[in-house]
Amino acid sequence: MVDHCKLKSTTLLVILTLSLCFLSVYQVAAQTDQTESKLQAANTAINQAFSSIVDAEKAGANVTGLLAQLNTAEGILAQAENSYRTGDSNTAAAQADRVLPITQQVTTAAQDAKQAATVFGQNTFWSTIAFTVIGSFVFVLVLFLIWRWFKRRYINNLSQSKPEVNS
Amino acid sequence: MKLEGYKLVFVAVGLIGVLLIATPALAGAIHLPSGEQFSELYLLGPDHMAENYPYNIAVGQNYSVYVDVGNQLGSSAYYVLYVKLGNETDPRPNNNAGTPSSLPPLYEYRFSIQDNQTWDSLLTFAVSNALISGNNSQINTLQINGAAFNVDKPSMWDSNNTAFRYQLLFELWIYNDKSNSIEYNDRFVDMILNLSND
Repeated sequence: MVDHCKLKSTTLLVILTLSLCFLSVYQVAAQTDQTESKLQAANTAINQAFSSIVDAEKAGANVTGLLAQLNTAEGILAQAENSYRTGDSNTAAAQADRVLPITQQVTTAAQDAKQAATVFGQNTFWSTIAFTVIGSFVFVLVLFLIWRWFKRRYINNLSQSKPEVNS
Repeated sequence: MKLEGYKLVFVAVGLIGVLLIATPALAGAIHLPSGEQFSELYLLGPDHMAENYPYNIAVGQNYSVYVDVGNQLGSSAYYVLYVKLGNETDPRPNNNAGTPSSLPPLYEYRFSIQDNQTWDSLLTFAVSNALISGNNSQINTLQINGAAFNVDKPSMWDSNNTAFRYQLLFELWIYNDKSNSIEYNDRFVDMILNLSND
């Protein structure tokens, strides 16, 4: 009877230990997966923010300030990746979390900058076209008036001149 | 000069004047081809000069180099710089195939640079745990900018160079907007190191 109880207790203890081991391994694996997904999310957010900045730059916006902000986020992401490689998943996850608010701010600001630059670019384009058309018209008109005055004077001079006979 | 001659002069002046006035509009419409586009990657010694690079490294000592990246691509670029540790037999990046080394990265930098700008950073490293026994050596832990990495990288004695040779490899990767991924930029530099007892 005592042996039977001992066997039961031992079996229970083994099951408990195995469960505990499994749970701790599972917890570590789950934490690693969570950190990886956070790092992936941070990577995606930075890629999107950078693409927004490039779009704004192509539209003619000044992106110096935006790139400086993004560099902060990129630095934090690099630290997170480095922490993850050293095995410090908790720090890596915390650092990856810090990236997202910065990238959201940068993306929004870059989209605004792109819009403003596009409007400014269109205004500049139409101003240039207007200047070219009006400027060319005024220039040709003035030149034509000068030509007419010059032509009249030339003909008058020609008609008033007396023929000279060379002996 | 006859009147016809003056007329030609006026027409020529008119055409040149219109072209000059239209220059701003033409400059906006005509895009001239830009120059060669490339990225630069280079290392400088601890004095910010191309000299005094670390070579003989001892356990517990700190060594420094400056890593520099230049952007000549015509627009802003987002770079990732991977630092890898290899021994003499480990594969280096393949210049012909344009592929990176298969070694896992230990440390990385991420940064964006505007066109015509340069990024510069001080990298400090130290071997904090290593073994040398006969013709064999092994770096167990390498610290880069204060972060400790378990590397367990062995290297055999190189009798030609009389050294336990290791290489600290710097690979430049760049974000590709079209594929939405970080890709190897076909740029790397390496620094040969000799693990010594002193």
